[in-house]
Amino acid sequence: MTDHLIRRGLSRRGLLQTTAGLIGGSVLPAMPAFAEDKPAVGSYPAGVSGSTAFIGISVPRTGTYAVQGEDELKGYQLAIEHINSGHDLIKKISPKTSKGVLGKELKFGVADSAAKPNEAVQAQQRFISENKAIMITGGTSSAVAVALNKLAQREKVIFVCGISGSNDTTGKDCVRYGFRQNFFGQTAAAAIGPVMVKEFGKGKKAAYLTPDYTYGHTVTKSMQDFLATAGWTTVTNQVAPLGAPDYSSYLLNVANSGADMLINVNWGHDAVLSTQQAKQFGVLDKMKLVVPYQVPFIARETGGLMQGVYAATDYWWTLEDKFPLAKMFNEAFEKKYGYKPEWGAENAYVSFAHWARMCEQAGSFNPPDVIKAYEKGETLPSLVGDVHYRPEDHQCVRPVIIVKGKQQKDMKTKEDWYDVVEIVPGEGLMQKPDAFGCHPGDYS
Amino acid sequence: MLKQRPFLIETLTAIGLIVAPFVLPHLGFAPNTVNRILVWGLFGLGFDILFGFTGLLSFGQSAFYGTGGFVAAYLLTRAGFGNVLGALIIGMIAAAATGYLIGLIALRRTGIYFAMITVAIAEVFFFVEFNPLSDFTGGENGLPGVPTPSFNLGFTTVHFTNGWSLYQFIALCYFIGVIIALRIVRSPVGAIFSAIRDNPLRATAVGHNIHGYKLTAFVIAAAYAGFAGGLLGVLQAFMPPDAFTFDTSGQLVMQTAIGGRGTLFGPLVGATVWLFLQDFLQSALGLGAAWKLVLGVVFVLLVCFLRGGIIGGLADLYRLLSGRRKRSDAEAEPDTETTLHLAPAPMQAKEVAHPAYSGPVLKATGLTKRYGGLVANSDIDFSVNQGELRGIIGPNGAGKSTFFKMLTCEIAPTSGQIVFEGRDITGLKVTEVCQLGLTKSYQVNQLFTGLTVRQNLTIAALAELRGKFRLDLFRKLSSVKGLTEQVEHTLALVNLTRRADTPVAELAYGEKRRLEIGLALATSPRLLLLDEPLAGMSPRERVETVKLLKSIARGRTMIIIDHDMDSLFELVERVTVLQEGKVLLDGTPEEIRTNAAVQEAYLGGVHGEIAA
Amino acid sequence: MISWPNLVSQLFNGLALGALLALISSGLTIIYGTLGVLNLAHGAMFMIGGYAGFVAYQYTESFILAVIAGSLFVMLLGVAMERVIIRHFYHRPHEDQLLVTFGLGICFVEIIRLIFSSQSQLVPPPAIFQGITNLGFMFYPTYRLAVVGIVAIALGALFIILYRTRLGMIVRAGIEDSVMVDSLGINVYRVFMVVFGIGAMAAGFAGIVNAPVVSLTPGIGDDILVQTFVVVVIGGVGSFPGAILGGLIAGEIISVTSMFNPGYAYVMLFAAMTLVLVVRPHGLLGVQGRE
Repeated sequence: MTDHLIRRGLSRRGLLQTTAGLIGGSVLPAMPAFAEDKPAVGSYPAGVSGSTAFIGISVPRTGTYAVQGEDELKGYQLAIEHINSGHDLIKKISPKTSKGVLGKELKFGVADSAAKPNEAVQAQQRFISENKAIMITGGTSSAVAVALNKLAQREKVIFVCGISGSNDTTGKDCVRYGFRQNFFGQTAAAAIGPVMVKEFGKGKKAAYLTPDYTYGHTVTKSMQDFLATAGWTTVTNQVAPLGAPDYSSYLLNVANSGADMLINVNWGHDAVLSTQQAKQFGVLDKMKLVVPYQVPFIARETGGLMQGVYAATDYWWTLEDKFPLAKMFNEAFEKKYGYKPEWGAENAYVSFAHWARMCEQAGSFNPPDVIKAYEKGETLPSLVGDVHYRPEDHQCVRPVIIVKGKQQKDMKTKEDWYDVVEIVPGEGLMQKPDAFGCHPGDYS
Repeated sequence: MLKQRPFLIETLTAIGLIVAPFVLPHLGFAPNTVNRILVWGLFGLGFDILFGFTGLLSFGQSAFYGTGGFVAAYLLTRAGFGNVLGALIIGMIAAAATGYLIGLIALRRTGIYFAMITVAIAEVFFFVEFNPLSDFTGGENGLPGVPTPSFNLGFTTVHFTNGWSLYQFIALCYFIGVIIALRIVRSPVGAIFSAIRDNPLRATAVGHNIHGYKLTAFVIAAAYAGFAGGLLGVLQAFMPPDAFTFDTSGQLVMQTAIGGRGTLFGPLVGATVWLFLQDFLQSALGLGAAWKLVLGVVFVLLVCFLRGGIIGGLADLYRLLSGRRKRSDAEAEPDTETTLHLAPAPMQAKEVAHPAYSGPVLKATGLTKRYGGLVANSDIDFSVNQGELRGIIGPNGAGKSTFFKMLTCEIAPTSGQIVFEGRDITGLKVTEVCQLGLTKSYQVNQLFTGLTVRQNLTIAALAELRGKFRLDLFRKLSSVKGLTEQVEHTLALVNLTRRADTPVAELAYGEKRRLEIGLALATSPRLLLLDEPLAGMSPRERVETVKLLKSIARGRTMIIIDHDMDSLFELVERVTVLQEGKVLLDGTPEEIRTNAAVQEAYLGGVHGEIAA
Repeated sequence: MISWPNLVSQLFNGLALGALLALISSGLTIIYGTLGVLNLAHGAMFMIGGYAGFVAYQYTESFILAVIAGSLFVMLLGVAMERVIIRHFYHRPHEDQLLVTFGLGICFVEIIRLIFSSQSQLVPPPAIFQGITNLGFMFYPTYRLAVVGIVAIALGALFIILYRTRLGMIVRAGIEDSVMVDSLGINVYRVFMVVFGIGAMAAGFAGIVNAPVVSLTPGIGDDILVQTFVVVVIGGVGSFPGAILGGLIAGEIISVTSMFNPGYAYVMLFAAMTLVLVVRPHGLLGVQGRE
């Protein structure tokens, strides 16, 4: 699955280092071969010694999250294409960009993570050691994101996180070398909670379907905590493994729980399957469905089961009426890929654009400098208005979009699945920077 | 291949590991890939002892890989344990302990049942890791942040970080793993492992507690898996939940079979091929997800056509090229000694347990065996005196073999009692009875077919010299006291000295029959049962074998079943005739030969046998 | 959610799951009992059945035709597999049989992945079985209800083949005493081929029938394979009634445990298997014949 792998054996210099390391029997001595004043950090400066810079991308292309992974990958590819060609949209987000980043053309390799941390870590380790990747990305599973966070911190290579909804990614598992653009459990709950209370009332009984990993646990926890303030109770929380083949046992428990609301935190194909089966078991006739962390393509894949359902999301294409950058993005994306982008692609594109801007501002690929550029916390443009990164936990403070599934008769085009109900500004949604136990670690 | 020249393999391994970082980069191997291969290789060392040497195909190794890995990673990331090597060792011990418990269950059954149970175990460990233990294992998240090892040497701290630096640590671990594995397979226990693989029935019959040894192999494999699992965490700074999946077990099995089972280095070669192809097919050929299909096809073809995997294939090739020369040398040797057979003095039978005992060596009373409605033996009374040579005859279906099986405790009688040297052995296991000094040579050869003649006899002799179970894992085979003498002696006794290093598969039929008797003899029994020792032999071979039997009879009690009455009557002092599961008659050969009832039994049974 | 209505619902759901497991396991067990080969590609047969049905459905739009075509396809695949490969392994050690079927299983999964990609495929249930049935104590998808009936019929058909035909007599005799069958002068290889085909078809049929319940992915057979092993160990290797009993027990264990905590379902299943191994090493209805 490596589209564009540049093979390079160990350089002569690398070999010398190796030899020295073996003889010395200990740490590889740093032997800067370039007349730069900065010491080597991670793959810098080796990774940018030529005319190119390499990005390692790992997305799920098989397994439960494959559909979302492919969409995300398209966002990355579009961003790289725009950066290399100096597209207008990139210039709007990163004004200093002309062609490439700091004059270096971006190359990239793609590996299938199958949403498994181990696969992702293996692939990225290879990209870092063989291709001297200067930046890595990947996600669509917070388990992958957390694992790559740790890898990035150890290898001292910047990790620009893909889709990851867990509070832990910029919470207890945050790192100095990791950055996240998209919304997450806490902001989703804080944004959609009030809408739910307004729509359905107080003191409701909720059943949860939760995938059994960091994303599911933290999103469910955030939802429960918020809704408890409005007197909602949890009557059952059905925790299922990623990629469960059948949800019948879980749904029978839900059906017999006496809940009024079904809050489905499952994601990817799990969300599609569990929603379809909830319909088959009559659960959706008894309870109102809410999807707190929207799943790209779920409306299409469940065949209309999202009608009238509330969801929180990072982006929906009809925001183009409000935001000109969104319109530019939708047009470029649709021209290249033939459909309207979902939020995975949006997050991929914007997070790369932000990274390119930070490198330009730092004037170097040197990771500590790039990190410090992010940590200035200046206001940046995005497809949904102005945003900024918090220096404490490297989380982007950005709005959360609340959408509601349209009835079929109201759909103007076949991709017109949702109404945008509300655009909730980011500031009010965020927890205190240290609330989830973030200790980002060192610069080098 | 693993046995010649002291330290040759160790030295070559060390050289290989030292040279690797200088050579492999030029072949396109990144340090991380090499480290990963070594972890698989280490994982596979234990698995090969289990599968390649002991013949137990487990699909559940991921359970121990994960156990060791998560215990080590938990200690290092959550419990604040600072010593990486210490954590790895604790993880290894935890995996071994888990292996012991699982082994107790899984080894209740053999063969296919065993494989099925291990598959289930692997799967369940995965679920356990996710649910009951997710607080410790991080569930789907795994445990990120595993540190790399560093050692404080007083004057300086050596820190192994990543890439080639970490390679040094992992390579050292692998090297130690190889040394230990080599010691184990060259030890008496290792010899018994191969015996279990080749013929568990006979390994039991010559007096080894094979269940104990199987459990040993299982625990060794679990320990290696546990240590390798810990190293995986160190290697990626992250202990992935995937370590527990069935896929990991499957990959290990495939890599071992691709590289070559029973070679110790097979898993390493297999892992190299696997990771190289995975990379090569994906990136160079752009095959994408199809890489696994290619590997699957390669694997199936190897299993079909090259049973020994890559290393096995190379070894065959080498043997083909070099062996031809050797064989022609051997053929040139004058072939005079075969007929000139000097019978050596018989081996001392085992010390008698109760020297004061002077009654019959064996006494069976009222021995009966029923299979459902079918009565195989009914109410047999039978007694053999010290030093006696007894023959048993009877038409086919008279229940002779069933009778022997009951005497050696291979099957339990439905009723009746068996007393050996004054001791009630009814209901004992065949292994224990053999240890007491009673064994049998089989009607149909039960040899360790994958081994040489000498190795066969060694296994039998070890049972007598070491008892039914002993964990001398690190002892050299050659340092077992009395082993060489006993093996050489038995070789001479059964006239196979010149064929000592020939694989069993290459022996002529008569030689195999002699080895069959030799296996029983090498355990130094005081009572030896021989089930049709002359079956299928040419007249010339029969003459020789009768001579052989006479020579080994000195100082030993023997009971012989055979259809060749002329030979048998020449050998034995008394004959018992069985018919339809009952004793028909008991008497001297002369009495039997002339007895009308016996004539009748044979003419009514299988015709013409008495004249044979 | 521990309550009487939920217990009844889960027991019923366990029956549905158990029936399916029983059908797949009986395929595995008669192959093993007769041929002495444990087919590690049996899960792949289940998976391929689903895909064959899916393809047939795409062309015919008829669920019944999809079931028939899919079953036949898997049966032919089983026969081909026996003739081309398995046949050469009867006289090789068990380990080699396990290795080769394991490898074949992987090849099958990867071929399907190559053709259909990893995306899940949906087979809609037949129109007459769409919707929900109110059973009084619970709502249950009509199609799942129908699956219980369809599987029961299939098991009945297998029963007739095994207990009322000459082939079945040979198969059962072979399970108890393979040597005897050899000496009867029957062309065992032809019997083996047919049995392998039938066993594969049982899995393939289950795969198609199950397809509308779940969604098809290439890896769908892997989990099922492990569950059938547990079923077979519990019921007794080589025993057709054992496979049915084991299947139902396994289904109920999974469902009832799910009521308390679904995460423990497989742990309990394994615990049950361990218990059986300790108390009755040959399985509940197993015979001592094969090992």
